[in-house]
Amino acid sequence: MNLFDLFPNLTVGNHEITSERTIKYNCIAWAARSTDRWWQPGVHWPIRSSQEDLGVGDLVLAFKSLGYDESPEGRFEVGFEKLAIYGSGLMYTHVARQLPDGRWTSKLGQLEDITHSTPEALEHSDYGEVVQFMKRPVHPDQDR
Amino acid sequence: MPSTSISQSLHERFQKLKDNWKARTRHLSNVGQISLVFSYQSIIGMGPEVVPLILAELESEPDHWFWALEAITGENPVSDDIAGDMEASAKAWLQWGRRKGLLAK
Repeated sequence: MNLFDLFPNLTVGNHEITSERTIKYNCIAWAARSTDRWWQPGVHWPIRSSQEDLGVGDLVLAFKSLGYDESPEGRFEVGFEKLAIYGSGLMYTHVARQLPDGRWTSKLGQLEDITHSTPEALEHSDYGEVVQFMKRPVHPDQDR
Repeated sequence: MPSTSISQSLHERFQKLKDNWKARTRHLSNVGQISLVFSYQSIIGMGPEVVPLILAELESEPDHWFWALEAITGENPVSDDIAGDMEASAKAWLQWGRRKGLLAK
């Protein structure tokens, strides 16, 4: 299956592949700028957790521990970095991080990293839909 | 149990389920979602006989077999300091398999 089969909203024009495939890290790690671990509750996670902490709320708490707060929308705001959290049912499925130019970056499971124009580009797939945006202030020395 | 003594039918069933699971989950990030796929649950349901096959597969390509291995065996040889490191976790399970005689040395 190629990316267009997996993500019906993706088009040639709304995304670009930005890395090789790797299983070393996942979208949660990538959103948190870590590329040496697969972040998973009960395995490697920023807060105390169990393997059953698979809900959207569990992921929101994890990113709160990294300085993010809930945001009502994902529109680009100067001075803030935003996340789009995707869910299907009650389970979290994916996180995308907004780039300084307003586009978004995602690690697709153990496939590639991509840049996509909007969070909606990955919706209506096994990722479900964006169920929560989060944001935190950008620090001047932060690696974007 | 060495993998060479595993029946052909068990081996074929595992290969079929494994291929289905991998094709359906490579783009997923939540191991809960990855392991809830029917083919993965079916592999767990095959029980201890399938462990040598999982270990052989893990030896050829790191993947999210840790949940299944722990569910089947009740063990977890992955220490906290390497948890989340896919390569190191795979090595820990392969060492465990060799100690148990479930994988060629």
